Amino acid sequence: MPELPLWLVWVIKAAVIYGALLSVAGLMSLAERKVSAWMQYRIGPNRVGPFGLLQPLADGVKFMFKEELVPAGANPFLFRIAPALAALPAMLAVAVIPFAGEIELFGQRTTLSVTDLPISSLYVLAVGGLGIYGIILGGWSSNSKYSLLGSLRASAQMVSYELSLILSILAVVALSGSLDLRVIADAQQADAALWNIARAPLAFLLFVVCMFAETNRHPFDFAESEPELVGGFHTEYSAMRFALFFLGEYCAMTVMSCLATVLFLAGGAIPFWPDAPWWAELASFLVKMSAFLFLYLWVRWTLPRFRFDQLMRLGWKVLLPLALFNLFATAALMAAGVL
Amino acid sequence: MAETLFYALALAAVGFAVGVISARSPMLSVLSLLGAFVCLALVYLLAGFQFLAGAQVLVYAGAIMVLFLFVVMLLNLADLSKVAEHPTRVLGVHRVALAGGSAALLGVLALLASRRIPDTAADTAMLARGFDELEPIAVALFSRYLLPFEAASLLLLATMVAVLVLAKRARAPQGPREQAQAVDAHGDARGDASDAARELEGAGLR
Amino acid sequence: MVIVKRRELTLAERLYLPEIGRALALSLRAMFRKRVTRQYPEEPLPTNEVTRGQPRLVVKDDGNIACVSCGMCEVACPAYAITIDGGETDRAIEREPKRFDIDMLRCILCGFCEEACPKDAIYMSDELELADFSRQALVYDIEKLKRPRSALQKRIDYVNKLNDRWRKPSSTR
Repeated sequence: MPELPLWLVWVIKAAVIYGALLSVAGLMSLAERKVSAWMQYRIGPNRVGPFGLLQPLADGVKFMFKEELVPAGANPFLFRIAPALAALPAMLAVAVIPFAGEIELFGQRTTLSVTDLPISSLYVLAVGGLGIYGIILGGWSSNSKYSLLGSLRASAQMVSYELSLILSILAVVALSGSLDLRVIADAQQADAALWNIARAPLAFLLFVVCMFAETNRHPFDFAESEPELVGGFHTEYSAMRFALFFLGEYCAMTVMSCLATVLFLAGGAIPFWPDAPWWAELASFLVKMSAFLFLYLWVRWTLPRFRFDQLMRLGWKVLLPLALFNLFATAALMAAGVL
Repeated sequence: MAETLFYALALAAVGFAVGVISARSPMLSVLSLLGAFVCLALVYLLAGFQFLAGAQVLVYAGAIMVLFLFVVMLLNLADLSKVAEHPTRVLGVHRVALAGGSAALLGVLALLASRRIPDTAADTAMLARGFDELEPIAVALFSRYLLPFEAASLLLLATMVAVLVLAKRARAPQGPREQAQAVDAHGDARGDASDAARELEGAGLR
Repeated sequence: MVIVKRRELTLAERLYLPEIGRALALSLRAMFRKRVTRQYPEEPLPTNEVTRGQPRLVVKDDGNIACVSCGMCEVACPAYAITIDGGETDRAIEREPKRFDIDMLRCILCGFCEEACPKDAIYMSDELELADFSRQALVYDIEKLKRPRSALQKRIDYVNKLNDRWRKPSSTR
């Protein structure tokens, strides 16, 4: 195989990872419909391609060709830019996810992630947190009461649950002693008993709950809340910009699943197979990630939506104290030498 | 290259900062502030302070500006010209506040100009290692700069209490449920908007 | 007035998590239950003899349609969907329509034509699907309306059975 310059290898890596992310996001739109169908004794889409596998493509084509409407009284610039703002952060955040260890690619040794940052966990949170702007601005600029209320709820919710999310991650960071996702994953590599899900089960529970809230998914999808707010923040959107919101949502779900895999399930590590080759690690990573993605769908099609005051009470009065306690307890146990 | 980038970012940051105080619509004002924060984060990144840049985006852009936007949307301050037209307000408390604030700012600047910040070995070592590692930041924050750090948090706490006292002047909506109702009433453009306005006025928010 | 007393939640219920686990188990089980979906065009719903679908013309065993273009159905049709032009042949039954059109977009599937026909030449089939790209394509002519007797047999038997109730001499008449 010819040896390629390093920058080209990076470009190839980035292209492959982003292609994969978008494919997963597309497949999630199909999986959402399939899983909901299965849980309701139905079959789900099966007309476009085998098992409906080409359905996302068909949907994409449809969205491309639909007419785009900008409501009267909307702020045209913000209205147009908001969907991109919603979709972009999740796509940026995936850049630091360590999918597998070092690989040999076109004569260059490189890691299987777009880039490696010493503060990658912070980066994911920081960039991921910006996704809310797309929702807020989209809702506000639509000049519609439903959109406005949807984005108001979304912003209140994101701020409330981001705290608990960060605190639950901090416990894991404290355990591994690093903000680097790759270091965090490698620290759990040796033994399944070292996986953070075993060492910090409460943090895992908190993370999973906040993960749902941060991506505005059931049972915390107050930004949409169809029965009350028509479509929530995207009521006024149509065509590809409407689809971009969903693309962003599915990308965010994928990134969150990746993050959960790295933080709590040791990334691509396989128990009892310490020196697995990179493809086995990648496969194991994808299996773990898919499990979290399935959890998203499973919960969505099972649980009813919370009431908004219940959501706030849960966030501030239950999850936040629990997260603080968890961080304190983890630190105390580490100081005592138990963990 | 880095220098050009720095000047471009610095200029953009100043431009956004001017936008914050000159924009007519509060929404644009908030968005300008957001732009300024992001530019600052990029400047930190350019200087090699990755952690600082991350924290800047996470805390300011990710959380605090969301709250600002939240408040702006909640109040729906489409037009601030009325405030400016009100002569008594400009003449009264605002003048005093303006004078006091300017005096305080000048004082701080003079203080900063008068004393050179000591360039100790610890600082140099920290700068050499960069802020990538959390440890030096944590150590600095909780030992050398503990007092300013705690003082800042106390100031924030005092501000919060002050805001609560101001907001409590009349009966404020209590509990998330009533607050949600207040929001609903206000969000309903065709509904009785004056009701919501009165409620907000009662809460001291207008 | 009914006063509904709200049940106090137990601790396990207030913790959400055990109940969430139960709900998740329920929906997971549902994934493996028997499907209820009927994949329509491939698996059509079974019809029976009462089904009153689109009218069709009976083709006799000798290959000719039974219609003699008497025009009874044309008159009976409340939607004016039927258009007939009469004609002659050299066969024993001398009359045959040169043109027999049913505008399927006008047809209301009432079955009056079936009732009116003196020659048992038109019957309501069990065909229900009606879709095309132009209005003209949905005006069916003789060729499109022809069906062998066997295809309509179920309905023919049913109509005969119904008619027998009136044909039988009864003691009260």
